[in-house]
Amino acid sequence: MAAIETGRLVKKFGKFTAVDNLDLKIEEGETYGLLGPNGSGKTTAIKMICGLLRPTFGSVKVLGRAMPSGEVLSSIGYMPQDVAVYIDNTVHENLELFASLYGMTPARFREREREMLDFVDLAGWRDDLASTLSGGMRHRLSLACALLHEPRLLILDEPTVGVDPELRASFWEYFDKLGEKGITVVITTHYMDEAGHCQKVGLLRQGRLIAEGDPEELMKKHGKRSLEDVFLEVARRGAE
Amino acid sequence: MNARRMLGFTRRMLLQFRHDRRTLGFVIGMPLLMMLAFGYTFGGEVSHVKVDIVNLDSGIPSVPMFSGNRTVGNRVIDKLNRDTLELTASTDWEASKGKVDRNEAWAAIRFQPDFSQDFLLSANATPGALPARIEIYIDGSSPNIAQTVLKVVTNAYLAAINKITEETGQSARKIPIEPDISYAYGGGDTKFIDYFAPAIMSMAIMMVTTMLTIILFVYERRSGTLQRLLVSPATASEIVFGYALAFAVLGLLQSLVILFAAMLIFNITVVGNIAVALLVILLLAFVHQGLGILLSASAKNELQAIQFIPLVLFPSILLAGMFWPVESIPQFLQPVSYCVPLRYGIDAMRSVMLRGWGLEHIWPQVLVLVLMACLTLGGAVLQLRRRK
Repeated sequence: MAAIETGRLVKKFGKFTAVDNLDLKIEEGETYGLLGPNGSGKTTAIKMICGLLRPTFGSVKVLGRAMPSGEVLSSIGYMPQDVAVYIDNTVHENLELFASLYGMTPARFREREREMLDFVDLAGWRDDLASTLSGGMRHRLSLACALLHEPRLLILDEPTVGVDPELRASFWEYFDKLGEKGITVVITTHYMDEAGHCQKVGLLRQGRLIAEGDPEELMKKHGKRSLEDVFLEVARRGAE
Repeated sequence: MNARRMLGFTRRMLLQFRHDRRTLGFVIGMPLLMMLAFGYTFGGEVSHVKVDIVNLDSGIPSVPMFSGNRTVGNRVIDKLNRDTLELTASTDWEASKGKVDRNEAWAAIRFQPDFSQDFLLSANATPGALPARIEIYIDGSSPNIAQTVLKVVTNAYLAAINKITEETGQSARKIPIEPDISYAYGGGDTKFIDYFAPAIMSMAIMMVTTMLTIILFVYERRSGTLQRLLVSPATASEIVFGYALAFAVLGLLQSLVILFAAMLIFNITVVGNIAVALLVILLLAFVHQGLGILLSASAKNELQAIQFIPLVLFPSILLAGMFWPVESIPQFLQPVSYCVPLRYGIDAMRSVMLRGWGLEHIWPQVLVLVLMACLTLGGAVLQLRRRK
C-alpha cells in the first residue's frame, strides 16, 4: 500500500495555480524528498496531503484513506513550515500537549520526552519557556512535537530551515534511522544537497512535478553532478 | 531636524493605509461609532418605564372639582410624564405588586378610595388629618430607574396640587400628599456600586474572553500551531471546548476576585446565590469565546485583531444597560440591544445579586445565553473545520 498517493492534484488560488496536476506515489517506508525553490508549490501540496487545504481538483489518499480522514491522523506526524510551538509555554508543556493529543500514557510520555529532548538537544531547556529559545531551538522543539508519538508517516515541511549545519546533519541522521525502521518520511526542502538522503525525490517547479526518481539515477540520467544542476537543466528544457 | 527625512516617515505611514483599507476604515469609522453610541446613550433619558397604576380613589361626590374623573388620584395620574412612564391600569393591588416582583413592571402605584378625602382634610389642615398617601411599591434593584419613577411621581402630585390651588384660589397650608414607598428588591439604600458590580463582573468576563480569544487564535493561525492541531487526532470541537473550559476557569477566578473585592471594599449587597451568578458568568465566557474565534478568522494579524475589540466593546457597554438602564436607550436602538449577549448577562446577574432570584426566574436570560453560546461555539467549530 502506498503511504501517499495523489491523482492529478490541482490547487488554484484565484487565477494562480499553485499545484498543477501533481501525481505522487510514495511507498510505505520510503524517504521521499519534495524539492523545489520557494513558491514552487511544495507547502501547498503538503497541506493538501494533510487535509488542511481542499484540492481544486484531484484526489489524495494517505495510508489508504481518502483525505481528509480523521482515522489516519494519529499515524501522521506533521511539522509545518512555521515554528509552530506555543511560545508562552515551556518545552515540557509543549510536548505534554502533543502527548495528550495522541493519547500517550504518562509513562510512555516520560520515556519519549527524554528521548526526544536528547535527540533535539534541548534536555537542558525542558523547563524553559519556548519564547526564551533561539529560532533554531524552537525549530528543534517543533520537530520533537512531530516525532513524539512515533508516527508511521512523518511529513516535514522545510524542517532544516534555520538550523545550523551540524544539527542539520544530525537531523538527517535521525531521519535516515526512521527510514530504516520502516517509517515513511516526506520532507520538503529547497536545499537540493539534502536530497541525497532520500530514496526518491520529486522536483517541483511552478506547481508541476518536472522530474522524479532516485537522486543518483536522476543525476546519471541528465549527466549532472548535483540535483541542483538537474533541476536547472529540466527547468530550462521545460521553459523551451 | 531634517524636514525631508521627517516627512519621509509621514509619507510612509500614510501610504501604508492605501494597502490596509481596513485600518483606515477603523481610524475613521471608530470615532464615528463612539460618537453615535455615547451620544445616544449618554444623552438618553430613562423612558418607557413600565408602571402599574391601581387607582381606587372614589373622590368626593359632594365636591364637583373632586368627583368623577376629577378625583385627586386622577389629577395626579394625568400629570405623570408619559414619555418617561409607560402606564398600565389595574384594580388588584396584589396582582400589581406581583408584576413588580416578577420584573414585569418597575413599580406599582396605588391611590386608596379615600385619597381625595384625605387630600382635602390635609389641605385644610383639619386637626388630626394626615396627608393623602400614594403607595409606591418599587423595584429598587436599579437605583436609576427607582429615582426616576419617584421623581416623576413627586413632580406629578406637586403639579396636581398647583393646579388645584389655581382652581380654588387657596393655597394648601402644607403639602397634602406624601409618598409611601416600599421596595420589592433593593431599597432606598441600594448604592450605585450594588447595581454596578454585577455589570462589572459581566463586562470583565466579556472583555477578557473576547480579547484573549481573538489574540490567541490569531496567534494559533499565524504561528502554524492551529494547522498542526488540525493534523492531529484532536477534533475542532475538542480544540474549541478545551479552550472554552480554560476561559471558564479564568472567568470564574476573575469573577470571584471582583466579587470579593466589591464585597470587602465597597460593602456591596449580594442577596442571591453566588453559584447561579457564576453559571451566568460561565455562559458569558462561552458566548464570547465563540465570538472571539469567529472574529479571529477575519484578522490577518494582531493589529487587525485589536480593531475588533472596540467593535465588540462599545455596543456591549452601551447597549447592555451597564451604566444606564436599557430603558434609557433611544427606542430605535433598543431592538439592537437584544442581539448583545451582555444585555442578558447583566440582566441575569442583577436579578441574582440584587433581587435574589434563582434559575426559576432567570431561565429566559439563561436560555438566550445558552442558545447564543451554541451559536457562537458551533460556528467556531464549523469555522475551524472549514478548509480553504
